[in-house]
Amino acid sequence: MNVILAGPSALEKIAFVILAIGVLGGALVTITRKNAVGAIIALVGTFCAMAGLYATLSAHFLAVLQILVYAGAIMVLFIFAVMIVNKDDAHPIALRGLFVRAAGVLATGYMFYRVAWIVVRERQTDVLATTITLPIPGYGNVASIGRLLFSDFLFPFEAVSLLLLAAVVAGVLIARPTRPGGATNSGGVA
Amino acid sequence: MPGHYYILVSLALFFIGTVGALLRRNALFVLMSLELQLGAGSLALLTFARGLGDQRGHVVAFFVMALAAAEAAVGLAIVVSVYRARKTIDLDAISELRN
Repeated sequence: MNVILAGPSALEKIAFVILAIGVLGGALVTITRKNAVGAIIALVGTFCAMAGLYATLSAHFLAVLQILVYAGAIMVLFIFAVMIVNKDDAHPIALRGLFVRAAGVLATGYMFYRVAWIVVRERQTDVLATTITLPIPGYGNVASIGRLLFSDFLFPFEAVSLLLLAAVVAGVLIARPTRPGGATNSGGVA
Repeated sequence: MPGHYYILVSLALFFIGTVGALLRRNALFVLMSLELQLGAGSLALLTFARGLGDQRGHVVAFFVMALAAAEAAVGLAIVVSVYRARKTIDLDAISELRN
């Protein structure tokens, strides 16, 4: 089965370009907004476009989970935090130490340029070139991922559930407002 | 689409997240940049999982997602708590441990 020779269809190319522009444009809007609510809406758009990219990679379960967890749960948390904090940035870009930060951005930019160069150079290798071959039947659906989660990855799965429980308890404990007795938790958790 | 396009998108997304985390002073925006970076990592994982035909990459991306949820819960609780105590979430203003 020489699926590689077929190449991506026109529809697949158009979908990829639209979704990639959605992801990168949404991310750029997110980090440049002064208004936190606008940034959160752009972030929701970014995550929805990213779910589309996951779907084009045949990761259907992860695509649905991305929308449920990121665009649903995590963004609601952010909205609630903005509701409590609600401060727009007067000067969104840090001015103090700008030279050091600019040097950091330039250094990371150079690093990512080098990595991108390596990726383009190695684009003919098996792992990167065979993305368009047909995966095994049932690839990426709920049944096969769930079977993997509850067999090979059972212990990490339970550990992650414990981590989530600890994070929820810690979140409630840290964000708890001043207690009626007069003691505050601003200095630490009592 | 060939996999290297996905990896390039993932790299660009991670770079945008890094720039946001480095340049913004508002703690909320730094947390959002961290979410972008985690998403970029998941995208690369799923691309290589597809290239190798191995679904274990999906499981790791699933764990990354759970980790992002835990990080957002604790991070936002800390932001709210700091705002209650200091009336600011400007990361340059919260610098007692710097010197």
